[in-house]
Amino acid sequence: MKEIGWTEKWTLRFAVVALLFLTLSGFEGMLMRTQLYDKDALHGMEAALNTLRPGVGEPTTEELYYSMLTAHPIVGIYGFVYMAVFGAFYFLVPLLLEKPLKHKKLVPVNFWLQIIGVMTCWAAGFFGLFNSLYTLYWPLPVTYDRVPVWGSIAFMIGAAIIMVNILLFAFNLFSTVLSANGTRKYSFFQFLRSAFGIPRLMKMLGKEDKSAPNLDYNGLPVFIVAVGRGSIDTVINALVLAVAGVVILVYGLAYVFNSPLNPDWIDPLLFKNVYWWGLDMVADGNALIYTAGVWYLLIPLLTGRKLFGANVVKTVIMVDLLVSMAVWSHHLLGDTSQPMIMRLLSGQFITWGEFFTMGLTIFASLMTVWLARPVKMTPALKFALGSMFGFMMGGVAGLIQANVGLNVVFHNTQWVVALHAHTFLLTGVGTMLFSVIYALVPMLTKLEFKSKALVDAHFWLWIGGSVIMAYAMGMAGARGMLRRTIYEGGQYQPYSLVAIIGGLLASLGFLAFLINLINTIGLRNVLSLFLPEKWMGGEAAPAQA
Amino acid sequence: MDPRERNWLFVLIAIFLVFNIITLSPLVPWQKWLLWSKPTPDQTFYIEYGDYEIRLPEGGIEVKVGEYVEFVATSDDVTYGFGVFRKDGSMVFQQQVLPGRENRIIWKFDEPGMYDVRSTEYSGPRHSEMYVPDAIRVTQ
Repeated sequence: MKEIGWTEKWTLRFAVVALLFLTLSGFEGMLMRTQLYDKDALHGMEAALNTLRPGVGEPTTEELYYSMLTAHPIVGIYGFVYMAVFGAFYFLVPLLLEKPLKHKKLVPVNFWLQIIGVMTCWAAGFFGLFNSLYTLYWPLPVTYDRVPVWGSIAFMIGAAIIMVNILLFAFNLFSTVLSANGTRKYSFFQFLRSAFGIPRLMKMLGKEDKSAPNLDYNGLPVFIVAVGRGSIDTVINALVLAVAGVVILVYGLAYVFNSPLNPDWIDPLLFKNVYWWGLDMVADGNALIYTAGVWYLLIPLLTGRKLFGANVVKTVIMVDLLVSMAVWSHHLLGDTSQPMIMRLLSGQFITWGEFFTMGLTIFASLMTVWLARPVKMTPALKFALGSMFGFMMGGVAGLIQANVGLNVVFHNTQWVVALHAHTFLLTGVGTMLFSVIYALVPMLTKLEFKSKALVDAHFWLWIGGSVIMAYAMGMAGARGMLRRTIYEGGQYQPYSLVAIIGGLLASLGFLAFLINLINTIGLRNVLSLFLPEKWMGGEAAPAQA
Repeated sequence: MDPRERNWLFVLIAIFLVFNIITLSPLVPWQKWLLWSKPTPDQTFYIEYGDYEIRLPEGGIEVKVGEYVEFVATSDDVTYGFGVFRKDGSMVFQQQVLPGRENRIIWKFDEPGMYDVRSTEYSGPRHSEMYVPDAIRVTQ
């Protein structure tokens, strides 16, 4: 591998750890799929692992299952997705802005804090049996005869570390984007006004502020516009989750010090609204906006053609940001206590805003590819197109469940978590991140992926496997199979079996990718990213100062 | 905006309108009473949740096909779910059961038979035990 620079080296480190987290999350997913097929299938493994858990006695299969179910999304989203995003953005943002990162010292801080935070949450489940699930529906996380108090405290500390770390990352991105680069600099407040389209609104009302920056037309690359606007959702998400975590932490510490606080002080419906408002900024905010930004960046780069409708898509990103502020009620459609007007407006109609923004985003991307014909179907382009398929499939499933009528029979079923969430995360976001890795590895290392056959195997096994898994469980959900429920007596076994086969296929695809990646970069070079040079005993790839 | 993009936007608007009009209409049968007519229930049943238990009214729940029945579910500890299922496991309807509130839903059964009740929301490691077979009898 050619000598690589400091930023490139850190980006590769983030990518490697992200892939390790994906491996862990995928392994957990397969274990849970197996238990949905046969609840008792893992008793031997549970007994062996219990020897590693001091002081918890003999936990039940249910306690272990729900603890794993709690840790699984944290590892998948904040371990895999966020680590990959950190690494990619820390390379791409300075590159596209043609100026250095504002706070380089924060890069290793982000790297280690994210690992510590995610592993603390994971350990809170594995050792502390914290099982409240990521939804944290009040007052379950502070009901200590169901959720172990020390597990709860550890999980909230881990979550707080993750959220503070995400805020540091966003601070670094904003500082870099807004810093002067020889022309002008913006204040954060100016940026915020521009991100929400306020100067444009003022212009329409005849009160033009000529000194205000205009995020849409001031020459910033579309990708940077998406990073800037998406990061507003990232910040809100981190702030809300951090506050929720601190509240639960305070209840936990008060309990430990024999001064338990009254859970009735907090209204469950209000907590659920605020928590989902913040939590949803990931699923319906930054995930969509960052993804759109990546497509807008990669598609022109890979096809050699200017993005179709570039100015329109900048507006689309702004609409996406506005929409993401008001769609959280689609998570409360099963709550008959939630006012119907909220369920209809926020839960259903405004949620359809994402149909328009993603519809226009995918149209602009596909038109760019179409107009650039003939295009070379590189691995990165292939995976970018695959990720669009994932977003379309997961998006349609999401719109079906985000409906006040249909949600009556879909809420909390496997449809929601499989056909919508996992299609989005695996077939959509996961495939998009693979596209980024396929695009960035040659840029970072000057090495091309060695095996085209392994790229194709990765693509078809990953897409095919994840779709088969999601479809099987989605159909089980349509027949009443609940999420967050482990069944006695082997109900829905045929669906679970097909889902396991799908999961295994996707795992094989991922394995093909890892073999190809390591074969391309070299195991020694991968290890040299983490181990001191003297341990490598010779010519590893040194980082440039 | 490019004309092709504008045409695509019109297609998206058409899909939005068609899907939402259909799913808000009585073509989805329960929308007739959940969204539009708000009928006065013929019977009301109170279901209490607490300590991983679903406590049905004494004497059970017996309703007739075609009559409007209101289910009022309450919880005295954490959030649960009130889900009604056919014997083949498919779901008839459900709602969340938030503590400190009367969670109400009106339903009209169109098939006689026995129906099961299961908690549809995670409430702790014993959540999966919260299953009451043959909880509702629906007669002609």
